[in-house]
Amino acid sequence: MASAVQTVSDVTIEEMMADPYPVFDRVRDIGSAVWLDCAAIHLVTRFDDIMTVERNHAVFASTNPKSLMNKVMGHSLMRKDDEAHRNERMAVEPSFRPGIVKTEWRPVFEEIADDLIDAFADRGEADLFDSFAAPMASRALSALLGFEGVAWQDLARWSQALMDGVGNYHADPEIDARAREASEGIDAAIEAVLGKHRAERNATILSSMAHAEHPHSIDQIRANIKVIVGGGLNEPRDSILTTVLGLLQNDDQRRQAEANPKLFAKAFEEAVRWVSPIGMYPRRVACDTTLGDTVLKEGDQLGICVGAANRDPSRFDGANDFDINRPKVQHLGFGAGPHFCAGTWVARQMVGEVAVPKLFRRLPGLVLKGDPPPVERGWVFRGPVSLPVRWTVGG
Amino acid sequence: MIRFTFVKPDGAEVAVEAEAGTSVMQAALDNGVDGITAECNGSAACATCHAFFDPEIVDQLADMSEHEDDMLDFAAVERRPESRLSCQVPVCDVLAERKVTLPDAQ
Repeated sequence: MASAVQTVSDVTIEEMMADPYPVFDRVRDIGSAVWLDCAAIHLVTRFDDIMTVERNHAVFASTNPKSLMNKVMGHSLMRKDDEAHRNERMAVEPSFRPGIVKTEWRPVFEEIADDLIDAFADRGEADLFDSFAAPMASRALSALLGFEGVAWQDLARWSQALMDGVGNYHADPEIDARAREASEGIDAAIEAVLGKHRAERNATILSSMAHAEHPHSIDQIRANIKVIVGGGLNEPRDSILTTVLGLLQNDDQRRQAEANPKLFAKAFEEAVRWVSPIGMYPRRVACDTTLGDTVLKEGDQLGICVGAANRDPSRFDGANDFDINRPKVQHLGFGAGPHFCAGTWVARQMVGEVAVPKLFRRLPGLVLKGDPPPVERGWVFRGPVSLPVRWTVGG
Repeated sequence: MIRFTFVKPDGAEVAVEAEAGTSVMQAALDNGVDGITAECNGSAACATCHAFFDPEIVDQLADMSEHEDDMLDFAAVERRPESRLSCQVPVCDVLAERKVTLPDAQ
């Protein structure tokens, strides 16, 4: 017999930001959907329940009239379902296909990674957040989009400003203003190159959109580019750092990967399961229904916690451990269903095939610096915000 | 309803019936046939619903898009001429009484 939603009211947002996993464990034990007071949302944390949600978007919708995302970015494919979603998704696919990623984008990622490592390789220590992962993700994203002459710091700032705007539930005017500035900056960056991408067909996302089978209005292009800017930067950045962290904390696995570099791809996949860069995303209950053991009402807002499902002990043994040797089982790090991460193959190539193996190859004796220790933050989005390391120079 | 058979990686056969138009992937999931992962649930984005169709009829199935063709190169088990992503193949008459073989890994 399904029962009404239960509430967790003794948790603060700061606790979620510092380490959401104990709360995820608690919520998973309580029910299929549990109201978390501090976040004002129903958390869905069990693997099987999330599969149910993703296989049934007529009941669990992505469309949302109250979406702040629509206000900040325009109405993008992320908040559409069915045909409307499919047409816009198909438009960007040519840039994200695994074959295109390998032939067109991998050389670009190699060049960016080498250029960044060249700049600090002789220093013997660095914080990999600022010196590598953030510029790597930002410069790669800029190239993928087809932007020209946009500084990586600007793109990174715009991305953060958009994400902050989307989460600005208390309508802070300063956050709104920064999100507007980011939005205008992106509109200008699109304007500067759109003519060129309309005139020539190339592998960039803007070119794919400009030549889509279902023609896009300028508003559709702007909204979808903003979603990709907002969502396409922190995920590769955070998964680079989480993969490196997992390997540096588990010396036997690190030695395995160094001996057999193919395992870096497995390390990336495991990192995305272990600390999912997108830990939670929203869905809306479209009609009264039951999910697992819990009764839900039309209009209920759900927080789909893939970060929790990826540590569901009914699915993963030793779920809290980073283990590149675990048997291959489906995880939800890229989501599931029609909104499955479009950038999956870009991330696999950029992080697992290029960025992480290159760091280990070019920085011999790479270890965590220890003092200060690495810091991880976040629950909606989670990853290391600081990863101080050192390595051997010369010798 | 159209009847056809999945051959699982361990060789076991599972006969299923599915309505014309549903995807072969969906038919596998609906009938609890393991061997199809379908991470993206039919969006042709994950290459985890790879299947080998009967070579005699593979050319008569729905056309393969450029996107599916690219994706198949990255399936966990190397593609063959009779490979398809089963989410992109609607069940149809030519499939009747034929076999769909699932690879060792997705």
